[in-house]
Amino acid sequence: MLVGSVLLLGAAVLAGLALGSNPIPLPEVIAALSGGGDAYTRTVVESRIPRTLQGLLVGACLALSGVLVQGITRNPLGDPGLLGVNIGASASVVTATAFFGLGGHATIWAALPGAFLAVGVVSLIGSGRGGATPVRLVLAGAVVSAVLSAYIQAMTLSLPDVFGSYRYWVVGSLAGGDTDTLLGVLPFAVAGLVLAVLMAAPLNALALGDTTAATLGANTTAIRIGGMLSATLLCAAATASAGPIAFIGLAVPHIVRALVGNDHRWQVPLGLVLGPVLLLTADVLGRVIARPQEIMVGVVTAFVGAPALLLAVRRMRAGT
Amino acid sequence: MHTSGSRIVRVGTSLAVPVRRRALVQGLAVVAALVAVGIATLTLGGLGIAPERLPAALIDIPGGSEGFVLKRLRGPRFVVAVATGAALGISGALFQTVTRNPLGSPDVIGLTAGAGAGAAAASLLLPGAVSVPAGAMLGAAGATVVVFVSTGRGFSSPSRLIIAGIGVSAMAVAFTQYVVMLQSRDQAAVLHAYLTGSLSARSWQNAAVIGGALAVLLPAAIALGRRLHLIEMGDELADALGGKAEQTRVWSIVVAIALSAAAVSVAGPIAFVSLTAPQITKRLSRTPGANVVLSALTGAFILAAADLCAQQVPVVEDLPVGVLTAGIGGLYLGYLLVREWKKGTV
Repeated sequence: MLVGSVLLLGAAVLAGLALGSNPIPLPEVIAALSGGGDAYTRTVVESRIPRTLQGLLVGACLALSGVLVQGITRNPLGDPGLLGVNIGASASVVTATAFFGLGGHATIWAALPGAFLAVGVVSLIGSGRGGATPVRLVLAGAVVSAVLSAYIQAMTLSLPDVFGSYRYWVVGSLAGGDTDTLLGVLPFAVAGLVLAVLMAAPLNALALGDTTAATLGANTTAIRIGGMLSATLLCAAATASAGPIAFIGLAVPHIVRALVGNDHRWQVPLGLVLGPVLLLTADVLGRVIARPQEIMVGVVTAFVGAPALLLAVRRMRAGT
Repeated sequence: MHTSGSRIVRVGTSLAVPVRRRALVQGLAVVAALVAVGIATLTLGGLGIAPERLPAALIDIPGGSEGFVLKRLRGPRFVVAVATGAALGISGALFQTVTRNPLGSPDVIGLTAGAGAGAAAASLLLPGAVSVPAGAMLGAAGATVVVFVSTGRGFSSPSRLIIAGIGVSAMAVAFTQYVVMLQSRDQAAVLHAYLTGSLSARSWQNAAVIGGALAVLLPAAIALGRRLHLIEMGDELADALGGKAEQTRVWSIVVAIALSAAAVSVAGPIAFVSLTAPQITKRLSRTPGANVVLSALTGAFILAAADLCAQQVPVVEDLPVGVLTAGIGGLYLGYLLVREWKKGTV
C-alpha cells in the first residue's frame, strides 16, 4: 500500500515539473534535473521546482492535520478548519491588510498568530473540568468560526480595498510559491510533522474512548493537547503559505481510513504521502484544463476530492 | 413520558398534548421578547412611529410617512425576519435531532453553499436572465439533489448525508469563491453582500412566500418532532410503538430542506440561525428531542433582534443581518458553553 502510494507521489511530482502552460516531455525534465538539456528547458523546470516543493509540503501538512483532528475529535466531520485554524488565519490576514497595510510575503507572518490564537480560544472554551470532549471541541470551534467569519464579512463589506485582496487570497493557490515562502514556514511544518509521528500510537489509545484510554494508562488530556498543537502547526504553516485550502484535510483521512483501517500508525505515513499526491495532482490539473489560464488549486481540490468522497460514501458499509 | 412538571392538556377526546411547565414558561418569555423587539423595530430611529401612536396605527393604518414605514419599510421587514427565523430554527431542530449531531444543519448538507453557488452562477453566466434569488433557489435544490443521489440511499442514513453534504459544499464554496475572484470588483462586492444574507428592502410578497411555507410545514414539523422523540429510544422500539423510524427520518429531512430553501429564497443564505436556535433551546429547556415550537420561536427572536441591530445600532448599521446573526448567535452559544463549563455539566 505504502509503496504504491510512494510511486504515485513520484509520478505526481514529475507531472508537477513537466506539465503546465508550457508542457515539457518527461525525458527532458529528467535531463534538466540532472543538469543537462538546453538552457530554456532548464529554466522552465527550475521555475516549477519551488511550486512543486510547496505542493509537497502543503499537501502533507494538510493531510496530517486532518488525520490528527479526526483522531482527537473522533468526528468524521473533523477538519482543521473545524477547530478554527483557517478562520483564525483568515481573520488575522484581513486585520493585517486593513490596519497595517501588509500584503505579499507579510501575510505569512500575519496568518500564523491568528491561527494559534483561534485554536487556543477553541481549546479553552472546549475544555471543561473533565478535559476536552469531542462534542464540546467541535461546538467551541463552531462558535469561534462564526464570530470570526462575522468579523471578516464586516471588514470585507465595509472596506472595499481589503475585500479586493482578500478575495484572491481566500481561494487558495500554489502559484505564489517561491523559496522564501517555503523557508519561512518550513520550521513550523517540520515541528508539526515530528509531533504528528509521535502522536500516532497515543491516538490509537484515544480511539478506544476516554475511559478505556485512561484505564490503559494513557493521559487523554496530554494526547489532545499534543494533537491539537501538532495539527495547528501543520495547518497554520500550510494556510500561511498557500491560503486556506479546505478540502484536503477532510478528504485524505477518509481515503486513508478506507485503505488501512483505524490504526493511526499506518494512517500517519499514508496521509503524509497521499496528501501531496492529491494536492499536486489538483495543481497540475488546474494548470492544464484551462490553458493558458490557471484555475487555483483550492478550486480544483474541491472538485477532485469531493467526488472521491461521494464515491466513498456510496461504498460505506450498510447500516452506517 | 409523563415527567414531573408536565401536564396533559386535552381537547375533546382525540387530542391530548403534554405540556411541560418549564417549556411553556420559556415559550411565553420568548414570545414576550419577540413582541418587545417588534415594538422597538417599529418605533426606534428617525423614521420610527411614536410609541404612544403605535396601537392606533396598527389598528387603523394611517397615511403619510407613518403608513409608509408600517406598510412598506419596517412592517414587512419585521414579518419576514420573524418567519425566516422560525423556518431556520425548525429546520435546524429537525436536522440536529435526525443526525444526532450538534453540527447537523442545512448548512452542513450543502444547501446553503449550493444556494451561494447558484447565486454566483446566475450573476456570472446569465446576468439579468435569471435573478440572483432564483439562482440561489435553483442552486439549493441542485445541491440537495446531488446529495440525495450520492448517498446511494436517499436521506435515510444521517452519517452518509453529512459526509455527502460536506463534499457538495466544498465544491459549491470553491465555485463561489472562484466566481467572486473572477468578477470585476463592483460585481464581486454585490455578490459578496448577497451571499451574507440580508433582510433590507423586503416586501409583503417575500413575507407571503415564507409565511405560506411556514403555514404548510409547521404542523408537519410538529407532528414529526413528536415521532422523532420516539426514535431516540431506538429504531426497533419506535417501530413497535408506531413511530416508523425510517419514514420519520426521511420526512423530517425533507421538511427541514423545504423550510430552509424557502428561507434562502427570501433572505439569502443567513448563516448560523439554524445551528444556534436548537442548541440554545435545548440548553434552556433541558429537554431532549426536537423542541420544534420552541426552536421556531428562538430562531425568530434571534433573527428579528439581529435585524433590529442592523437597522439601529450605529457601528453595524448598513451591514447585512447575516453578519450579525453569526456574531450574536456565536457569542451567545459561546456564553452558554462557558457557563456549562463552570457548572461542570455536560
